Amino acid sequence: MLSPERLALPDYEYLAQRHVLTYMEDAVCQLLENREDISQYGIARFFTEYFNSVCQGTHILFREFSFVQATPHNRVSFLRAFWRCFRTVGKNGDLLTMKEYHCLLQLLCPDFPLELTQKAARIVLMDDAMDCLMSFSDFLFAFQIQFYYSEFLDSVAAIYENLLSGKNPNTVIVPTSSSGQHRQRPALGEAGMLEGVEASLFYQCLENLCDRHKYSCPPPALVKEALSNVQRLTFYGFLMALSKHHGINQALGALPDKGDLMHDPAMDEELERLVVRSKLHRTSRPHRAKEPGAFGFQRREKQEALERVSSASVPTPYHYRWEPRE
Amino acid sequence: MIPGKYRSVSGRAANNVNCGLHLVIQTSPLPEKNKVRFKKVEFKLNKDTSSFPGRLLQHDLERNYSSRQGDHINLVSSSLSSFPILQRSSEEKILYSDRLSLERQKLTVCPIINGEDHLRLLNFQHNFITRIQNISNLQKLISLDLYDNQIEEISGLSTLRCLRVLLLGKNRIKKISNLENLKSLDVLDLHGNQITKIENINHLCELRVLNLARNFLSHVDNLNGLDSLTELNLRHNQITFVRDVDNLPCLQHLFLSFNNISSFDSVSCLADSSSLSDITFDGNPIAQESWYKHTVLQNMMQLRQLDMKRITEEERRMASVLAKKEEEKKRESHKQSLLKEKKRLTINNVARQWDLQQQRVANIATNEDRKDSDSPQDPCQIDGSTLSAFPEETGPLDSGLNNALQGLSVVDTYLVEVDGDTLSLYGSGALESLDRNWSVQTAGMITTVSFTFIEFDEIVQVLPKLKIKFPNSLHLKFKETNLVMLQQFNALAQLRRIDQLTIDPQGNPVVNFTLWKYYVLFRLSHFSMQKINGTEVTQNDMIMAERLFGILAHVASSELPQYRLISILGDARKKQFRYLLESKGKKPGIINEENNDSKRLVGENTNRATLNYTTRDFYNEKLEEIKEKKKFCKTYIEDLVKEATEINMKNEALQKLWPQMFIELVRDAVIEIRNKNSYMKLCLQQITDQK
Repeated sequence: MLSPERLALPDYEYLAQRHVLTYMEDAVCQLLENREDISQYGIARFFTEYFNSVCQGTHILFREFSFVQATPHNRVSFLRAFWRCFRTVGKNGDLLTMKEYHCLLQLLCPDFPLELTQKAARIVLMDDAMDCLMSFSDFLFAFQIQFYYSEFLDSVAAIYENLLSGKNPNTVIVPTSSSGQHRQRPALGEAGMLEGVEASLFYQCLENLCDRHKYSCPPPALVKEALSNVQRLTFYGFLMALSKHHGINQALGALPDKGDLMHDPAMDEELERLVVRSKLHRTSRPHRAKEPGAFGFQRREKQEALERVSSASVPTPYHYRWEPRE
Repeated sequence: MIPGKYRSVSGRAANNVNCGLHLVIQTSPLPEKNKVRFKKVEFKLNKDTSSFPGRLLQHDLERNYSSRQGDHINLVSSSLSSFPILQRSSEEKILYSDRLSLERQKLTVCPIINGEDHLRLLNFQHNFITRIQNISNLQKLISLDLYDNQIEEISGLSTLRCLRVLLLGKNRIKKISNLENLKSLDVLDLHGNQITKIENINHLCELRVLNLARNFLSHVDNLNGLDSLTELNLRHNQITFVRDVDNLPCLQHLFLSFNNISSFDSVSCLADSSSLSDITFDGNPIAQESWYKHTVLQNMMQLRQLDMKRITEEERRMASVLAKKEEEKKRESHKQSLLKEKKRLTINNVARQWDLQQQRVANIATNEDRKDSDSPQDPCQIDGSTLSAFPEETGPLDSGLNNALQGLSVVDTYLVEVDGDTLSLYGSGALESLDRNWSVQTAGMITTVSFTFIEFDEIVQVLPKLKIKFPNSLHLKFKETNLVMLQQFNALAQLRRIDQLTIDPQGNPVVNFTLWKYYVLFRLSHFSMQKINGTEVTQNDMIMAERLFGILAHVASSELPQYRLISILGDARKKQFRYLLESKGKKPGIINEENNDSKRLVGENTNRATLNYTTRDFYNEKLEEIKEKKKFCKTYIEDLVKEATEINMKNEALQKLWPQMFIELVRDAVIEIRNKNSYMKLCLQQITDQK
């Protein structure tokens, strides 16, 4: 807590780095909006709940996009919430279009912009046939990269364009690589012949970008790892590599590994309970009694429900608690 | 000599229209036997020939002229020409000076008839004659019978100016022609030929009987000029329509049996013919129709006989009654079709407006202008069970009976239609109609509400009104309403109950999503919907919906902080009540109902009540409102931060300076107390100073 580097920063910068002010402002704003309701049970409790929800990552639910995007922590929370809510869709195996994923996003954030979703879709589809269906995991990982690092990616895109057109934005001369001089062909139309840019050159530029960027960017070491085994790459190829890289995913800390993407035992249990409850709810309705053997069905369901509940209570439930990462 | 009776008869025949069937009886002596053989004449009336009031016929029968057919002719073939020359004995010439019969003589050509220039009746029946020739000298001829020959063309008659009866039945004539000079023609029989067209008879102003049966006529016209025609026989042709009959001032009998007439319109000119009293249509398609008899009777009041049967008074009466009924029905259906047309036009117009809106081409201002100018011209279409649009007065709809058939202006921009249990709204202007006073009965009957060409966001604002005014609406249909997001379905949760939902793919892109049905079932699970887009909702569907989105509901309810739950629910309820709070003339009972309803609502599905839909406009509005607050918060926090940093700075400064300050404080104190005496004096001094 009392690390020297923390004390070295001037006040405002320290607060800004931790986005403390953002949350303070937002808290006060929420307080103002819901004055009447909150005044009933006290301001102290309100602040407690607010910051608790910030810690838990539920503060971004149904909030406007400007807030969701405001801090890295918000972004991570949003990704996590999206994963938890719609994991079942992925588990079901449905392939959806970009528009439908966007709809799901909008369920959680009503004014989420379409362009972000489109960009994410482009990563998955390699900029080709935007109406194609995508699997949940592909989309989710691509979306993660796009959403969390969106400013970084914009800069990378600019760099890529520059490299493609032969202009090297860095003043650093790379002595070993001579391929940079070969790229005298300016026309983008002919860039297709030599696809993409040279990996190492690209990485140099990225490294410089990371150094001077104040936005968050992926750890350079991991980026280097991602680029290590390719000679040349295209922009979307690079993004695809990023999205599939386990290390980066873990560094972000929002989503579990790809293999575990569909696993969430606690939620599954909860879901089963809900499903059973809905079944009971439906069968107990009077007009459903027209079905043959409805009464028998109902009884059986109740039996099953009881059994399930009792079995659930035996092992200790595993609650995954999200912890903030540096 | 010609018997006097005959003479007078024939004289009569020359003057009046009472012509009978003539019969030329020939007698001529056998060459070998010098006897006159008499044979009873068989008088065969050919079926297709018209029946004349045949006085002459009677006479002839009475006379019992007999003839031996074919035996008494003396045909000498001449070496000069190919034509045989006819010769009769002078006795015969005197006996039957005006008539000659060459029936069944196996003639292939007309023989030259010499010395018989006063002949008046000539009979060539049943021969094989192909051309009419060699009779130009018989200029006194009144009757010429060429029935059953092989004549292909009417010709050679140009000198027979006195001809009154021309029988050319059962030949091979293809065209009516060359009758120009036969101005006194009284009877023209052309039955059994190959005639396709009525022509070249317009000058026959004395013609009384025209027989064109068993020909190839396909239509009847060109009958003008036949001012004396009483009987027209057109049986067994292929006639489809009849014209010009009203130009025949004397026509009494018209026989159209066995033709191709299928509607009365094709023979409509018959209604205008005041002289017609006898008509036959049997064997035509029209005679098979159910409305045949009374239509004919009703349109032809002058008729006395139909299909050879007398028309009774009873029949006439029935006919008029039935005709009136037909008229009623036609008027009804006409009105119906008019209404339908109006509806179609309005809907087309609304559709066009909608398209323009979607392309954002039209200026909103001009739309409003047009709407304003249109509202006084709302059509009010009332027809029994179908109620459309609304009257201009604000009274209950089903009692206002404006003139239903006012001209519809094509620029109408919306349409409201009630059809039994369905309320259909086209165009966003129609939403205002929900404000009107609907009678309890009409409103209670409505179970289906259909929205077309209206933005869903606008419908959302009107749903509370719908809930109140039409409590029994259980089935909602949406077409061309711009449903694009799953979120929008959240808005339907505020209704009382929905049994069926129909989202037409046209104009509703949301239907293209794979999961839309499950989301609807999930979000609106408390309605226990039975059908979506016509398909039954199964238990499995519900379970699947719950599986897919159950976690969303769980997250939305249990993981939201309390204050957010309250604020979100509060917002939703406030919106619902906005209509009630703003409307006038509300009954207090309704508000209570609303409270109960929403309480019940919340109780049933708390976990998804937070999933709401705010239309884009409202959302942006809200964000705008918040901006002010945000600004204030920002400045407030900034002030706080400034204060805090100042204090922090001071604190840090103090931390730095304190040791030094402390030492100085201690040093000052020690220096002060070092000299006890002077310190005591100083203290006392201070005390006295104070006083």
